[in-house]
Amino acid sequence: MEPRGAETLRTYEEVNERIKRGDAVVMTADEYVEYVKRYGVEKAAKEVDVVTTGTFGAMCSSGAFLNFGHSDPPIKMYRCWLNNVPAYKGLAAVDAYIGATAISEDRGIEYGGGHVIEDLVSRKEVELRAEGYPTDCYPRRFLRTVVTVDDLNQAVLLNPRNAYQRYLAATNSTDRVLYTYMGTLLPRYGNVMYSGAGQLSPLYKDRGFEVIGVGTRIFLGGGIGYVIGEGTQSKPQDLLATIMVEGDLKKMSPRFLKGATVHRYGATLYVGLGIPIPIINERVAATASTPDEEIFTEVVDYGVPSRSRPVVRRVSYAELKSGKVLIGDREAPASSMSSLTKAREVAEELKKLILRGEFTLTRPVEPLPTYREFKGLEVRGYEPRVKDVMTTKVVSAGPDDDVREVAKLIVSHGVDHIPIVDRDGRLVGIVTSWDLARALANDKRSLREVMTTRVVVARPHEALDLVVARLEEHRISGMPVVDEAGRVVGIVTSDDIARLWRVRAA
Amino acid sequence: MKLRVVYDKVHVGRPVLASVVARTKVLVNILEAKVSPKGGEVVVDVPDDHRAASVVEAFREEGVAVEELKQHILIDLNRCIACGACVSPCPVRAIKVEGSTVEVDEARCVRCQACVWACPMRAIRLL
Repeated sequence: MEPRGAETLRTYEEVNERIKRGDAVVMTADEYVEYVKRYGVEKAAKEVDVVTTGTFGAMCSSGAFLNFGHSDPPIKMYRCWLNNVPAYKGLAAVDAYIGATAISEDRGIEYGGGHVIEDLVSRKEVELRAEGYPTDCYPRRFLRTVVTVDDLNQAVLLNPRNAYQRYLAATNSTDRVLYTYMGTLLPRYGNVMYSGAGQLSPLYKDRGFEVIGVGTRIFLGGGIGYVIGEGTQSKPQDLLATIMVEGDLKKMSPRFLKGATVHRYGATLYVGLGIPIPIINERVAATASTPDEEIFTEVVDYGVPSRSRPVVRRVSYAELKSGKVLIGDREAPASSMSSLTKAREVAEELKKLILRGEFTLTRPVEPLPTYREFKGLEVRGYEPRVKDVMTTKVVSAGPDDDVREVAKLIVSHGVDHIPIVDRDGRLVGIVTSWDLARALANDKRSLREVMTTRVVVARPHEALDLVVARLEEHRISGMPVVDEAGRVVGIVTSDDIARLWRVRAA
Repeated sequence: MKLRVVYDKVHVGRPVLASVVARTKVLVNILEAKVSPKGGEVVVDVPDDHRAASVVEAFREEGVAVEELKQHILIDLNRCIACGACVSPCPVRAIKVEGSTVEVDEARCVRCQACVWACPMRAIRLL
């Protein structure tokens, strides 16, 4: 078998020669997929020199290195803000890194680092504010001015993780609306949100990393960029590869870099990124022709607030792009967080640049890894769980008990919550001392009439801070703890949690 | 047809809407209602387009200002990237991405604002 990256059909030099002569055959990935469907991959491999790809989506691991130049007198900035968004200043005196997800100190997530970057490439004036500590060489303490991108010595977009090969789609099994980084997820599998360009996806079109490597010249944010290495969190063995890229921000465009706000989540940057795939061998010719029908991803349930969310089903990008996804026996509307329209624009733009001879291809100077262990973060040390603080001696009652008897229980045991259980100990409702006071005042006798049946519950192994969040959300002071079968195994109240804090403080 | 009805501080204390429905016998759906010390504002949908004119007339007779809400979803095309973030969260499926443009079915819209918040480009406004 040919080695990875073998240039058996054409070399980079030959492709670039044809680009310069103006007779290179260039197709977008959409066009190439259609071409291969019609004429077959053998003919395509012979005819086509370059396939252009594109993606345009939220890429949180993005940001820019900026060098402001020295003021007079100079300042050693140790903190700085651009339009009131903090930039990282743990660098030399006037170097800073503005991250896409940093948020404004007055406008919050409605304006973030991504918006600052968009304003910079739009050549708008941006307010720069900085604090320094005086030294013999940098006497200034404070600085406030306005700058444009042209005033800066360097402005370099440097994104540690871009262009996910594909992305997991999201749905929501719970009965409330979730606002996630995958957008708004309606209750009870009410919709599916996805991201990624499918058959246009740059990294999917070169899954073996035969032509994309360190040094590959790419289309980035409307300008020219380079792949500088493996992206963070890259997981190529699961088709979840990413790349690290950089490029001159001054030459980029707000058409392909857009600041964004994901509701109740945060600020980010939408990045347009395209990579040319030279058809150097038959394997690359075949890989680049993969259609949406053969590109799969998983729909996962964001209703489970855990690192490993359950997979609901596997789905192709063709199905996702159709706007409807079958979940169980119901069709859920599906729509995208990333922009397919702009992804196509990227691929078209890159194709035009190549056809005009303004963009030539580069051979990687170093291949990218095709396997990378994917590690989670183990939190070492004690983290309280529900079972550590809950009361296991639960005073409970049955749905047909008399209100006055239960009121006596509350008084004699000094509790505020009485879970109502059936004969098998399974939870069917709850009453609080307040419910009982009201029942007695209104002369109600049966517990069934006054109990709450939609009960907020906790699980024994749940992290305590999730329970605290739920207590706040529902404005309640306690909840029953139930096992897998719905049997009450304890009760956890704000008093139990307060006690934990007292113990810790002591 | 959707109507925006503006109450001054005198009319805000009167059962204007109820009497319009009682007199015209046309059913309306209240989409929004706001009351402030200065007056109030109600947005109603009249599902039966043919009878909307009589509802408008009745509101005028009650002495409140009424106008038809024609285009009430505004999309800033300079910011819209036709992604689709607003499409599937819409509970009444009033939004579609057709090719490179976003199409809104104004008649279906119930003004819940799900799209306004779902839009990462903050390109959507309700009038």
